[in-house]
Amino acid sequence: MQNLIEAHNRVKDFDWEPSYASKPDWYPTKYKIPAKTKDPFRHLIRDYLSMEEEKDNRQYGSMEDALARGQVSAKAEPRWMEAMKAALPILNFGEYAAMKNMGQLIETINNAELRQGYLAQMLDEVRHTNQEAYLSRYFARHAADPEGFTQGFKLRGTNIFNRAARAAFEAFFVGDPIEGALNLQVVAETAYTNSIFVALTEIAAANGDQVTPSVFLSIQSDESRHMANGYSTLAAVVSNPDNLPALQIDFDRAFWRQHAFIDSFLSVVWDYFQTNRSFSYLDKWREWIDNDWVGSYIERLAPFGLKVPSTFAAARDRVPWMGHSAAMVGFAAWPLQYWRFDPLTNRDMDWFELKYPGWHGQYGKFWDEYRRRCDPRNGELALSMFPSLPPLCRVCQMPCVFPRPDISTCRIKEFAGKRHAFCTPECELIFDQEPHRYLAYDTFYELFDGYDLADFIVENGLLRADGKTLIAQPWLNQEQMWTIDHIRAARYEIRDPLRQQ
Amino acid sequence: MMNTAVQSPRDFTYIKPRKRRLSEYEAVTCYTQPDPAVFDRQGWYLLTPEGRAAWRPESTRLQHPHWFDFRDPSSMWQRNYVKLQAEQERAIERCVEDAASAGAFSEFDPDWLTEIIAGHYRVWSFFEYGLFRAFSRAQREALSDTLGNVLCFEAVDRIRHAQSTVLYLMALEANIEGFKDQGAKQRWLSEPRYQPLRAIVESLMATEDWAELAFAVNLIIDPITTEIGVSRLVRRQAPRHGDPITPMIIMTTERDRRRNQAWTEELVRMTTAAGLLNADDNRIVMRAWCDRWMSLAIAAARALAPVYDRLGPHAGLFEEELAAACARQATMMAELGLGAKGG
Repeated sequence: MQNLIEAHNRVKDFDWEPSYASKPDWYPTKYKIPAKTKDPFRHLIRDYLSMEEEKDNRQYGSMEDALARGQVSAKAEPRWMEAMKAALPILNFGEYAAMKNMGQLIETINNAELRQGYLAQMLDEVRHTNQEAYLSRYFARHAADPEGFTQGFKLRGTNIFNRAARAAFEAFFVGDPIEGALNLQVVAETAYTNSIFVALTEIAAANGDQVTPSVFLSIQSDESRHMANGYSTLAAVVSNPDNLPALQIDFDRAFWRQHAFIDSFLSVVWDYFQTNRSFSYLDKWREWIDNDWVGSYIERLAPFGLKVPSTFAAARDRVPWMGHSAAMVGFAAWPLQYWRFDPLTNRDMDWFELKYPGWHGQYGKFWDEYRRRCDPRNGELALSMFPSLPPLCRVCQMPCVFPRPDISTCRIKEFAGKRHAFCTPECELIFDQEPHRYLAYDTFYELFDGYDLADFIVENGLLRADGKTLIAQPWLNQEQMWTIDHIRAARYEIRDPLRQQ
Repeated sequence: MMNTAVQSPRDFTYIKPRKRRLSEYEAVTCYTQPDPAVFDRQGWYLLTPEGRAAWRPESTRLQHPHWFDFRDPSSMWQRNYVKLQAEQERAIERCVEDAASAGAFSEFDPDWLTEIIAGHYRVWSFFEYGLFRAFSRAQREALSDTLGNVLCFEAVDRIRHAQSTVLYLMALEANIEGFKDQGAKQRWLSEPRYQPLRAIVESLMATEDWAELAFAVNLIIDPITTEIGVSRLVRRQAPRHGDPITPMIIMTTERDRRRNQAWTEELVRMTTAAGLLNADDNRIVMRAWCDRWMSLAIAAARALAPVYDRLGPHAGLFEEELAAACARQATMMAELGLGAKGG
């Protein structure tokens, strides 16, 4: 196209003010967005299609050719591959929710420049949803242990940890579209996708998984455009000073909602599922989130009146510990999951002490005991180390054990005749702002309180094809695997920790 | 390999394939949308400040016990969709490039160029853009992933059509001395012949029901109004006016239209299937949609009669074309069991 600038101007001149029918305000927003801003996208659909086609050809081509022939996935470190069973169905909903947010933004934001970016992102998100489901299926076919990959999208439905992912990602599209964009584009995509789709691929590659990087790096090439969408959306919002008070409240909340899940989830996947170890999650958090996202991005918006989220300092304080606490609950609750776990070795534990000084004093005993309880012949469940499963936060759905069980910030309160747990004062504040938004679902314990663990496993389809062996295992030992008979013999009852005696 | 007595399956086990084997399309699409009636029994974790949940059954008046049963007959997922559209856009680009090199644009009848291409066809891009807006919102609300995705792809179809037209007219400007693409927006906004069309698209943009949107556009308005305003007028008449290029572009949009018609027909078949509890209710709803949109579609087509007059001595042409388009549409509706006399 000879005259690209003119072409861009013309394709942005389609909007008109309807006069024959008035549209309902389907997605109310409290923000006023100027009708004209900078175009974050600057691509015609024609160019976009050809660019994405080329990326698809490279990625799917490599997966189906050399990577499949080389049986790369079957040779990857099993510990790492188990993390992918958990991660892919979780990430997938984030992409799907993002696609829905784009529908809301296209509908609501009357700004032709921004809409150009949103429309490409809408199709990108379908792309990512498809890519991650494709990768799951690829692993079902090629990984050493397919169980878990074969039905992750079903099993995520009632999974205790997937609840937290769902809660975080529903914030992308259930509410004010701009608040959705803050959660999605400004926080999740700009702060965290480098960690998910770039740094995590280094760990994948170091652990023999060459397929995930092919997919994730291809995804990340779209994410950089989404970050531009986020920046342009934010710039449009701050350009009207009337927006600022609401913006800061929504931004503080968006950061916390995403941090509460993503930092816990990423740090567990990252630190506890590496075999060939390199950097820690904390190393990368300081680099990507603290220095880059806050230092090079958010702080630069200060002249426009936007401040670093008030919740950021609390997040920074707890990030060094929260992954370990989440991992402890996750590993202890292994029979509830649809992936296997690999206990830490002495070498792993030395690495943790090096990367997180003081780690051993807090968590070392748990890991010694966990290892002992991996063998089904001992008949002892790791879960029995604790009086009960922890309560789950009413807002973020994470277990209330943060930052560490010994200094937990968990609080319980009554509301509308029921007791509710909150993992932190931040989540409690979010609840207090709009309690009715967080009360529509059944809690994990409302569904499963009083269940024998074996019944939970059978009812939720957590058995392998033999109908007897659990999909989840506390270790990777293939000779000694837990069966439903072991679980029945262990006699463990799921109990609501908020249930009053 | 694992040491379990029974071989583990090597494919997704939670999707019931439409055919014998799970297709790639089904594997990467089905159950990516959560639903409390499927695997997510605890419900939704978040409501909007106004109290609505992520998805609502009342987003359409049609009823079905399991929207996830829907399958796109074209089996589109992002990869084959993007490939198809990239190919179509490349075909357009090459055709325009070749036409320019061959000097074919100079063979266009000048009146055709100004009256029909710039004066009429370019105005249609606003209609397509309005549909892009409407389908983008509809994809947000659809009650399953397979439905959300076809609606999303249709939104992208529509913005592609709109942008393609703009780029085509820019190429004409570059190759035909003195030609200017101007005034289309003004005509869209005020010329009487386009006001019924604009009224339709504004009503579609204000239609909350995603199934009604697809039904109205793909089974009524495109087969009648777009057929009259674009296919039978521009595509069919162009060669008589020295223009073999524009039909080539329109045919890519017709390929999209056939795909969109096919999935919407599939939606009708699924919601009126024999044995489905709500089939009769759904038929009543769809007949009401027919009543609402048929008269608007025909009125918008009729308003375009003056454009046919500009084509020269073809008296009677417009009425013949409209009758033919309506007859074809009526046959399709009858085949779906939604004919005027009970199908």
